[in-house]
Amino acid sequence: MSWSRLRYLPGQIGLAMVVFAIWEGLVQAEVLSAHLYGYPSGIAAKVYGLLSTGELFRHAGVTAFAAILGFLLGSAIGSFAGLCLWLNETVARIVRPFIVAINGVPKIAFAPLIIVWFGIGIESKIAIAAALTFIVSLIATYNGTLETDRDLLRLMRSLGATRLQSWRKVVVPAALPWVLSTLRLNVGFALIGAVVGEYISSQEGLGYLVYYSGVLYDLNGVWAGILALMVVALLMDRGVTEIDRRLRW
Amino acid sequence: MVNKHYPLETRGLSVTFNAGGENEVVAFSDITFTLKADEILAIVGPSGCGKSTLFNVIAGLQPATVGEVFVNGTRVLDAKGQVGYMLQKDMLLPWRSVRENVGLGLEIKGVPKEERNAVADRLIAAYGLKGFENSKPGTLSGGMRQRVAFMRTLALDPDVILLDEPFSALDFQTRILLQGEVMDIIGKQRKSAILVTHDIGEAITMADRVMILSRRPGRVKQIVSIDLDRDERDPVKLRSNTRYQEYFQLLWSELDI
Ligand SMILES: Nc1ncnc2c1ncn2[C@@H]1O[C@H](COP(=O)(O)OP(=O)(O)O)[C@@H](O)[C@H]1O
Ligand SMILES: [Mg+2]
Repeated sequence: MSWSRLRYLPGQIGLAMVVFAIWEGLVQAEVLSAHLYGYPSGIAAKVYGLLSTGELFRHAGVTAFAAILGFLLGSAIGSFAGLCLWLNETVARIVRPFIVAINGVPKIAFAPLIIVWFGIGIESKIAIAAALTFIVSLIATYNGTLETDRDLLRLMRSLGATRLQSWRKVVVPAALPWVLSTLRLNVGFALIGAVVGEYISSQEGLGYLVYYSGVLYDLNGVWAGILALMVVALLMDRGVTEIDRRLRW
Repeated sequence: MVNKHYPLETRGLSVTFNAGGENEVVAFSDITFTLKADEILAIVGPSGCGKSTLFNVIAGLQPATVGEVFVNGTRVLDAKGQVGYMLQKDMLLPWRSVRENVGLGLEIKGVPKEERNAVADRLIAAYGLKGFENSKPGTLSGGMRQRVAFMRTLALDPDVILLDEPFSALDFQTRILLQGEVMDIIGKQRKSAILVTHDIGEAITMADRVMILSRRPGRVKQIVSIDLDRDERDPVKLRSNTRYQEYFQLLWSELDI
């Protein structure tokens, strides 16, 4: 695993270097405007400056905290609710159209409501990240439970299992791969939630950094924030890989 | 009502899907038969004539539209747990070890862990899978997996075992081997079994009687007794037995394929 990753590392670094070099060259030759696009050496200087003042860590920490907490809350509650929906078909049928409707709306449209309810502090960012991941987990997990092999459920009944026993012993473990693969999607959704919350109203966080830099036409600052978001996303993805490795059967 | 207590008896069973609806399907109709103690009854019939549905009814997984099922003389609406059930697919839970799969039925009944592990380990050792107790099903061959599925059925010690084409997904050698093993186990443990198969040779090899069902809606066309001793029932040698060939001709001509 680590070997096969390392094997491609030179190519990956090379690709990034080539892109940065072309970008830098185009800006130096004044084909691209430094003002509108930013440029790698300026971004590097910006990152260095933000790192030396500790600002970048502070912003990244705030965003990561909101995204991770929202991710954990939303994914856990959403997955559990999705699993539980299998237990009662009547309830599932009643709530189904509502879930479909909510899922159809770009969920980020709910963000202003959540900020009104939870205020402009970090709670609202956590809540937005949690809401997004909740919906995604709920739907994916419930659909996962519906994929349970019908013959397997018949077998359980032939052994005398109650619905609750079939759920615990078959449906939940069988849906686990769905739960786990949804976690990976949810890393993205949690970050979207936290960053959008910060765009709308905030005094800190990477979303704030990106938004505020953009308003000031500090494109290098925007890029610095985006790079930091990528690092946070990669770290969260690593975390999910670890969870996956421990839970997968 | 029932004088003699057969392990299993059905009276006038019929199942109609979507009754009254536009796509009404009569799966089978008026099926009456008895399963005697220590007997293997094979059921052969064209595909779609309702064999699997009949098993669902007998195992209490779905109600009959008309008719009744008796297990050991008492009418059952719910034979779950009393009637063991084994399908073509082994239905092993891939996240459980062999031991935990074998003990599944006992676990559902609430038997404590130590006790059910002891039962499972005894079965696993008796049926030649010692050393695989902690293996996951994914690491076993098809024949081993089907053996584990059979142990899971036996663990609950049911009087009646339903086998729905249990060997049809296996390669020839494994199938022959398992046919022999299952016959021996059912004989030794004094169980009764119904075997659904589309393999006439398998029916003659394993069964004491063969029930032939008609095309859908399935009805009992004929029940043929197979008078062969256990020691004649060697799956390979039996093929050259003239009586085997006669039975084969008879069953073949009766089947609406
Ligand atoms: N749930 C169902 N609803 C409607 N028709 C069904 C259902 N289950 C089975 N059938 C139909 O009943 C008939 C008997 O099916 P089955 O018992 O599986 O036959 P067999 O096992 O003999 O091949 C088939 O025609 C099948 O299409
Ligand atoms: Mg069938």
